[in-house]
Amino acid sequence: MNVIKITVAALLMASLASAASFNTQAEKDRKALIAYMEKKFSDPAKNKGSFFPYSTNEELSKRFTKGIKRDAFRLGSYAYDKGGKSQYDEVMEMPPFEDNIDAGKALYEKKFANGKTFKSCFPDPAIAGEYPKFDDKKGTVVTLTLAINECLKANGEKPWKMKKGKMADLEAYFASASTEAGKKVHIVIQSEAAAQAYEAGKKAYYSQRGYLKLSCATCHVQGTGKRVRNEYMSPLLGHTTHFPVYRLKWQGLGTLERRIEGCNKDEGEKPHKPGSPWMSNVLYFMAYMSNEMPVDGPAIRK
Amino acid sequence: MQQIKHWLLAAAVGLSLPVAATAGTADLVKEGEKIFTTKNLGNCLSCHAANGKKIDGPGSLGPKLTGLSVWPKKALYDKIYDPYTTNPISAMPPFGKNGWLDDHQIQALVAYLKTIH
Ligand code: HEC
Ligand code: HEC
Repeated sequence: MNVIKITVAALLMASLASAASFNTQAEKDRKALIAYMEKKFSDPAKNKGSFFPYSTNEELSKRFTKGIKRDAFRLGSYAYDKGGKSQYDEVMEMPPFEDNIDAGKALYEKKFANGKTFKSCFPDPAIAGEYPKFDDKKGTVVTLTLAINECLKANGEKPWKMKKGKMADLEAYFASASTEAGKKVHIVIQSEAAAQAYEAGKKAYYSQRGYLKLSCATCHVQGTGKRVRNEYMSPLLGHTTHFPVYRLKWQGLGTLERRIEGCNKDEGEKPHKPGSPWMSNVLYFMAYMSNEMPVDGPAIRK
Repeated sequence: MQQIKHWLLAAAVGLSLPVAATAGTADLVKEGEKIFTTKNLGNCLSCHAANGKKIDGPGSLGPKLTGLSVWPKKALYDKIYDPYTTNPISAMPPFGKNGWLDDHQIQALVAYLKTIH
């Protein structure tokens, strides 16, 4: 009897241990990224030699904020760039995306031809921080964008375009509902296959691509705080907390997929399609890096 | 013998350049500057400021370029062609190796970089 008890306990422990261990590497990566960013911005002027060799003393000592902690990095470059932050605060007093959130709410409640609504797939709209998820049955990553289109298809509706329009509006409503509910990014790696998708996304993120042979990390890890022309680069840490984003350049709202397409082009690369395995795996990796940070969308960017 | 040929060649080039190629060099410098600042060409300014040159909003991903006038042409050419030969983890793109800029364009850039003191 005792033996059986012990065996059961041991089996339980073993399965618990392995369930936890699927994200062991991801947790290491996430903590290392937080440590890197917090150290880099602990005192930018003092850290010039190790982190900002080509920046001016002037910008490091006057323009940059010191001692930034994890959650603040969700503001992107406005986390450390005082000038950018004050412009941001000004625009956020009258955010240009209020209508998009209302439109998204209407879409959420609008009846499909079969009489059902998005509620049948997403009973709670405060789910922006839960995606992407790894679907063990399908063996693939499901982004929020893909989940929305699956819901449409399951209800006999046509899927939406994935970069702007209705998709961005509905995601803006989800983001806003999640922010209001005080939700945090909560990405789960629950299986070996999920861990592999995470690793594939990480590899893509750190690989040199396009004729310029730049990686996402060149600009958003090592490059954070440096400028491409006049533009300060934001950190990977917190990149997914606040999408969709209203960009002044777009004069409208866009999804994460739309933003990444722009960066693919900057790298001299043919953009990856939203919904492609490349895009889904990269988003899974990026979102995991933002785990535990508050959802904070939609937001505004230049 | 090889040595002597080399010297002769160098002397010939050295002599003929100032006379025959002054106008050509100025054009080449101008062309190089254009490549340096044009988005779909070198777009070097996205990462570099250059000492003594007026550049609108140069980036800080790469160093401010200074003292390049004293660099040998070959070193400048190689840096643009493939920066990984001297710095395997460079964040600078290999413009020649990847076929983005051709030999003539790189020569033009080198001519422009030689005017940076
Ligand atoms: C040549 C530099 C460069 C490369 C390479 C690059 N980006 Fe960017 N990225 C930028 C700049 C500049 C911006 C706009 C300023 C900012 O917010 O960082 C930006 C913005 C972003 C944003 C929006 C952040 C926000 O909060 O609005 C995301 C997300 C992003 N990049 C992801 C990526 C991904 C993924 C890759 C690789 C596939 C990548 N970037 C490659 C320069 C780059
Ligand atoms: C994406 C960023 C980027 C772009 C674009 C770029 N560079 Fe660089 N460059 C760097 C970095 C980073 C270094 C320093 C590391 C190294 O020497 O490899 C560098 C170094 C150099 C150096 C050596 C400077 C020194 O003092 O050691 C020269 C010369 C140079 N670049 C010229 C150019 C030219 C010409 C172009 C355009 C055809 C260009 N770069 C485009 C990032 C860039």
